[in-house]
Amino acid sequence: MSKRELSFGEALNEALKEEMRNDARILVMGENVSSNYRAVTRGLFEEFGRDRVRDTPITESAFVGTGVGAAMVGLKPVVELMLVDFSLVAMDQILNQAAKTQYMLGGMVKIPLLMRAIYGAGTSSGSTHSETLYSLFAHMPGLKVIVPSNPYDAKGLLVASLRDENPKVFFEHRLLYRMRGEVPEEQYVIPLGKANIVKEGTDITVVATGMMVHRALEAAEELKDKSISLEVIDPRTIVPLDTKSILSSIEKTSRLIIVDEDYYNCSFSSEVAALAADEGYEYLSAPVKRITTPNVPIPYNPKLEKHILPDASKIISTAQKLMK
Amino acid sequence: MKIEKEKLLELYRTMVRIRTFEMSTRKLRSEGKIPGGFGMYTGEEAIAAGVCAHLRNDDYITSTHRPMGHCVAKGSDLKKLMAEICGKITGFNKGKAGPWHLADLEIGLLGANGIVGGGPPLAAGAALANHLKGKNGVAVCFFGEGASNQGTIQETMNLASVWKLPLIFVCENSSPEVQVSLGHTLNFPQVSVEDISVRGQAYDMPGTTIDGNDVFKVYETLKEAIDRARKGEGPSLIECKTYQYEGPFSGEDAAEKEKDWQEKDPILRFEKNVLDSRLLSKSELEKIRVEEDNAVSEAVDFALTSTDPPIEEAYSDVFNN
Repeated sequence: MSKRELSFGEALNEALKEEMRNDARILVMGENVSSNYRAVTRGLFEEFGRDRVRDTPITESAFVGTGVGAAMVGLKPVVELMLVDFSLVAMDQILNQAAKTQYMLGGMVKIPLLMRAIYGAGTSSGSTHSETLYSLFAHMPGLKVIVPSNPYDAKGLLVASLRDENPKVFFEHRLLYRMRGEVPEEQYVIPLGKANIVKEGTDITVVATGMMVHRALEAAEELKDKSISLEVIDPRTIVPLDTKSILSSIEKTSRLIIVDEDYYNCSFSSEVAALAADEGYEYLSAPVKRITTPNVPIPYNPKLEKHILPDASKIISTAQKLMK
Repeated sequence: MKIEKEKLLELYRTMVRIRTFEMSTRKLRSEGKIPGGFGMYTGEEAIAAGVCAHLRNDDYITSTHRPMGHCVAKGSDLKKLMAEICGKITGFNKGKAGPWHLADLEIGLLGANGIVGGGPPLAAGAALANHLKGKNGVAVCFFGEGASNQGTIQETMNLASVWKLPLIFVCENSSPEVQVSLGHTLNFPQVSVEDISVRGQAYDMPGTTIDGNDVFKVYETLKEAIDRARKGEGPSLIECKTYQYEGPFSGEDAAEKEKDWQEKDPILRFEKNVLDSRLLSKSELEKIRVEEDNAVSEAVDFALTSTDPPIEEAYSDVFNN
């Protein structure tokens, strides 16, 4: 086996290229997707031409909806949302037209649409350029929601997503693009709905997604010295959610912390907490704790922004309280 | 059209103020003193100046990803504006908005906007309120050629037309020759027409395309559109073709680019015009430049000596009680 490192962005780029070579139905649309400035779509236009790699006007409703329609009649569009916040402009097309149609039409159509959404705070970009929002999509029946946290997963999950025949939103944290990690030359697929136990532990289960996986790992490292052992679980996909892996971890540790960059209310973190309450109640020896962005829009000022985001120190103090 | 001397001085002052203010933000940004990014308006000053010269305090505007020109021209307090860009508690919005979202309702500035095409519907609402108030107030929405395609803008043009709202659509077309978005040359054009102003016809409103780097032309054209709105005759669409300053220029053709830019620079064009025709004197122009330089320096000092918002501000204002 060869060892090779790629960045998160390069890994996604490789997945797109390989799948586009294999499947002529895949086409890429979005704002500036033919640009070479951006790692994920770099070189696609040069290799596949502008029939399959199309810059769109800044009209989210139109180009997302075009993706839905093209998918209904047999293409496999990959639609890029430059930021997930901009998806809000296209909510009807995403939540009504893309999410509900397969079911509504009694299975008559498939909508193999992949929306790639760039997300995440930490760049002082203000309230409409910093959100996470995956919970919004997970709320709606009919959308799969994928949130990779490292280059290896990014590639394997994108390949699986491109082969999946359903509408889905694929979340890429803007601060992860340059993260490097091992990605084998050999092709591989990571199935949707299979969590990754990133770090095994015995005291507390920490469920975290995307960038938050790294915050949880930082906390786990520091807590080692304090003899608290965290088990870090990255569900990789929010829909479908690998509830079994989460529940068996809680059975082992009896404690649960959820670390989620999305808002606090009605969110991924509430979903996992509810899962623990519904199906893992007898395993728990302590209250379930959620560390999330509170229910406030992301402020511009960097100190305020940093203050509201989940970080290792918040995970550490919460873990210590749980172990008292 | 004859423009009174006082107005000429005002137009020049506004353009110089925008330019000076933005040049100082470029410097602050390079020094790491502005935490977030935003689009620049340098080269487009004639539009904001020529439009806002007709506006009263009770008229409203909505701005864009290139907000500084509109904010300055509508009469922003430079200190609070600079403080907001620097994320300080003394800014318009306590440092919570930043350049992409800042607003000052006191002067009729409904906000820059983080969403392309997000502003025009809000401007329509302000125009409706002004219409109902019955004091001939208007609203102006600024937007770029990219935003001109958004459903929000097309829908708002229709609504403004059927309700005869006192709303002026000002499209700042900053890539009239090649279709560029965020510095990238697109592999499909983003606009289906050569002149965006023709879209006015689809909504039964006057549409005009003008040279947006000619402040006299902007002033004159907007006078007509704004008068029309104040008289209750409904909305207009004005497309201003314009060029952004991309310098400082480098490379073999730097001198050529610099010369090309100078020919387009709305401030240099204005100076040449008023000096050649002896409408204003060199010393009158110089005085304004010095005054604006000082005002902007004070704004920078104010922003840099202001403090960050206290942590409690992270949780305030979600609801107003």
